[in-house]
Amino acid sequence: MPIYNPALKPLNMSEIKRYSGLDQYTDFPAHLLDNSCTESYLLAQPQATWQIYDYDASTATIMGSQPLTLQAPKIINYLSGAARVVVVALTIGPKLENKVSDYFISGEYTSGLLLDAAGTAAVEVAADQVCEFIKRQAAQQGYLSLPRFSPGYGNWDITVQPLILKLANAHEINLTATDSCMLLPRKSITAVIGLTANQNDSSVGYMYQDTTCPQCPQINCLARKD
Amino acid sequence: MIYIFDGAMGTMLQDAGLPTGACPELWNIERPSAITAIHKRYIDSGADIIETNTFGANRIKLTHYGLQDKVALLNSAAVSAARAACGLDTKVAGSVGPTGKLIAPLGDLTFDYAYEVFFEQITALHSAGVDMILIETIIDIQEMRAALLAAKSATDKPIICQMSFGADGRTVTGTDPVTAAIILEAMGADIIGANCSLGPAQLLPIVQKIASATKCPISIQPNAGMPKLINKQTVFPMTPAEIGIWAAQLVSAGARYIGGCCGTTPEHIKAIKEAVQNLSVPLLPNIQQLGKATALTSRSKTIYLGAGYPTAIIGERINPTGRKQLAADIKAGQFMSVKKEALAQLRAGAHILDVNMGVPGINQAAAMQHAIQELSMLVDAPLVIDTTDPEALEAGLRAYPGRALINSVSAEPERLAAFLPLAKKYGAAILCLPIAPDGVPNTAQERLTITRRIIAAALEAGLRPQDFVLDALVLTAAADAKAGAQVLTTLKLYREQLGYPTTMGLSNISFGLPRRDIINATFCAMALASGLDAPILNPYDSIMQDTLAASAALLGNDANGRAYSMHYAPNSPLQQSVSASAPTNIVEQIRYAVISGEKEAVIPLIQQALTEGIHSTTITEEGLTAAMNEVGIAFGSGHCFLPQVLLSAETMRAAFITIKQILPAHTIISLGTVVLATVKGDIHDLGKNIVAALLENSGFTVIDLGKDVSTETIVQAAITHHADIVGLCALMTTTMTQIDHTIAALKAAGSKSKTIVGGAVLTAEYATDAGADAYAENGVEAVTIAKKLTLAK
Repeated sequence: MPIYNPALKPLNMSEIKRYSGLDQYTDFPAHLLDNSCTESYLLAQPQATWQIYDYDASTATIMGSQPLTLQAPKIINYLSGAARVVVVALTIGPKLENKVSDYFISGEYTSGLLLDAAGTAAVEVAADQVCEFIKRQAAQQGYLSLPRFSPGYGNWDITVQPLILKLANAHEINLTATDSCMLLPRKSITAVIGLTANQNDSSVGYMYQDTTCPQCPQINCLARKD
Repeated sequence: MIYIFDGAMGTMLQDAGLPTGACPELWNIERPSAITAIHKRYIDSGADIIETNTFGANRIKLTHYGLQDKVALLNSAAVSAARAACGLDTKVAGSVGPTGKLIAPLGDLTFDYAYEVFFEQITALHSAGVDMILIETIIDIQEMRAALLAAKSATDKPIICQMSFGADGRTVTGTDPVTAAIILEAMGADIIGANCSLGPAQLLPIVQKIASATKCPISIQPNAGMPKLINKQTVFPMTPAEIGIWAAQLVSAGARYIGGCCGTTPEHIKAIKEAVQNLSVPLLPNIQQLGKATALTSRSKTIYLGAGYPTAIIGERINPTGRKQLAADIKAGQFMSVKKEALAQLRAGAHILDVNMGVPGINQAAAMQHAIQELSMLVDAPLVIDTTDPEALEAGLRAYPGRALINSVSAEPERLAAFLPLAKKYGAAILCLPIAPDGVPNTAQERLTITRRIIAAALEAGLRPQDFVLDALVLTAAADAKAGAQVLTTLKLYREQLGYPTTMGLSNISFGLPRRDIINATFCAMALASGLDAPILNPYDSIMQDTLAASAALLGNDANGRAYSMHYAPNSPLQQSVSASAPTNIVEQIRYAVISGEKEAVIPLIQQALTEGIHSTTITEEGLTAAMNEVGIAFGSGHCFLPQVLLSAETMRAAFITIKQILPAHTIISLGTVVLATVKGDIHDLGKNIVAALLENSGFTVIDLGKDVSTETIVQAAITHHADIVGLCALMTTTMTQIDHTIAALKAAGSKSKTIVGGAVLTAEYATDAGADAYAENGVEAVTIAKKLTLAK
């Protein structure tokens, strides 16, 4: 599969506010938010790669050269109607997170926090662009692409990261994991996208339902919506 | 006449027995008669043009099958197999599909290698005798540009360029049909169109848009509807009768060439033929409306210049002349400041960006290529390539996935000879600058004469009327009293006698005069009224911004002055929201500044307070600390939010630094020492950094050990610094057990430090089980808890 480095589409300002803990609060200096947005355009370098595999739903196995049998119930349920899966790796590179650290060192805490939030928004926007690319290609063969599902969603244990990175050929974009299964650079994601022949696959609805904030155990998350 | 293409090849090959996963093009040499038989069926169904079985016969695609060295053989055999099916009237189109890779910077394929790959295949098709080249199913305009350039070099046969668009009307890499048509026509495509991805219903508006933007004939090859997967087979549901109905509509919208893509069969082609064979080519008035406008594009956006279109502002700031830092950055290969200038100019109102890399002593071609690639990923504004160096110009034009404007082409013979062929080759527009070998013309009439010479030479070189933007040539008013008037007359002459869009660099008019901004803005208003379409200017100039806004309203480009009113109406909600009652007491003002997070305001207030003799302790306790306490309470009750807390902390920091600068002997009594760390294996430090910032600015001494810190290091630091508190952070389930280990190790080492833990995955229960003294849900709570724990010690 190709290397795809999407040119970032505009970031969603309300998402940046949510990730930084401002949520719906409106009376905050707009120029600080604007600056974080601009800086993220300057510093984010989105890169993505992916591989497509057959999926055996009866054994919950991604049929890579080194097959990966899934264990977590929610990802198995999500992929229950999939005939194939796309394993995606994406990063916006280290520059943005390095700048966040620099900001904290120089005492510009707010800029650091907001740029970190803008970086998270940039990862999401870039991931959406990559998913759109994959969705269109899959549609040409008649497949419906399910929304992406990442390690960490719905209690899918992040210890799967090294295997997912391998399946996605993530080394091509210099994306790795630490021994504790955290992605390096940090502003990155991996995900699987189920491809289903069924245009009305019920797991589409299931997916949205199950991974929204109320079901998430991270009750102190800044971005939590409920 | 309407010409009929054939339908899908892949489906027919599978029906003929091509195994799944096999190379379709291999049958050109292994089973050529089967290929000929498929072509024959399409011809019998009414196809006027058949497409060779070479969609994937390029070096990159053939590498998947180990056939990369058989490009010439497979393409040549395909043409023979096609020709064997043809009668006298049937034409053969050499099919050229995508490489399957994206060109840098969108992907990892270089433009030059993509060009070589296409050149190799198209040369083979040309040598084998195709009647035309069909570049099809391309999703990235830059890949199409590489293929079209290669085709123009490899063959003199007609070239058809078909892009693939999505349901949103754009390619997946963002190009719309109008932009694609403008770029491809300018580069010399003979026929422009679309195929695949969509059915005829979705392609109908795309045909209409292409027809509005180009005089080239349009080709369209829809899928047989949108595919479904049934029993593991991709099925295209549209019947021949249905596609026939749509075919007539596609022709009415402007299609001159029509065939089928995925899922279409000889029966579909027969139905299309029957539906359109008696239709005449419609007259399409839309293109006539463009008049003498000149279009510039980026990958995803088109801007028309000319009479009847809004003023297009060309930002001039990406130019290192007289700007040492920008020049130094470009020389060092650093393009961050170039990118910042691009974003800032667009925010200030520019629509198009001039790019000049004229730094002495550098490889300007490399710098231009780099800058254009970076900017094409960052902004959607069309670019102007501003250089006198032909190599830099070609590097920029080659790298640009759009239609650029070349700044500039004068009447000097060497400039005409070097620049016009490049403009033609890459489909760029040219800025015609009326300077001749014998010097700079002073009068408007002389400028008109020279510009006519440039246009004549350009047309001779193959450029078209829609490729010109005329520069009125601005000289300095301080040196020549008539300079301004001559420019205004030139603009009027251009409009009356030539009609092409106009531009000029404004600021030269004010050179040597005071308050150049006033002169520039006034001159801009006069020039706009005289016919200036695209001023090149500094978009940051506030008087210029006011003038442009007012001019738009006065010249009818801002209907009823709506945008002007929105921007300039008094009593905007923002102004009304400013608090009317700021405190008057200086310590109160400091407290207020910290609460409001006004970092810049607090510094002079501290200076004033100290000058007035207020003791630094009073300032610290009653102004700063009191403010942070209030902010903490407001946060806890949900009345303010984390970024505001951090703004207050920053303001505290600025205040402390100011006090320290004025009173170096001033010491603040530490509330205690806190050792902070993100535990071993965890690389997330944002939360920990926030806690550190808040503790530090609330009076604690913070020893920040960073992230991924071993238990041993934390224990050692706690003992060495006699830490009152150790704060530990973990974000992930995979690392939170390190919290337990570290607390146990601290106790085992005899540390008296209290422990506070936090992080996304932690809970109060976990903290208790791990033996921590406290759990903090957030940074503000950490400060509150730290104060309690240190008081209790």
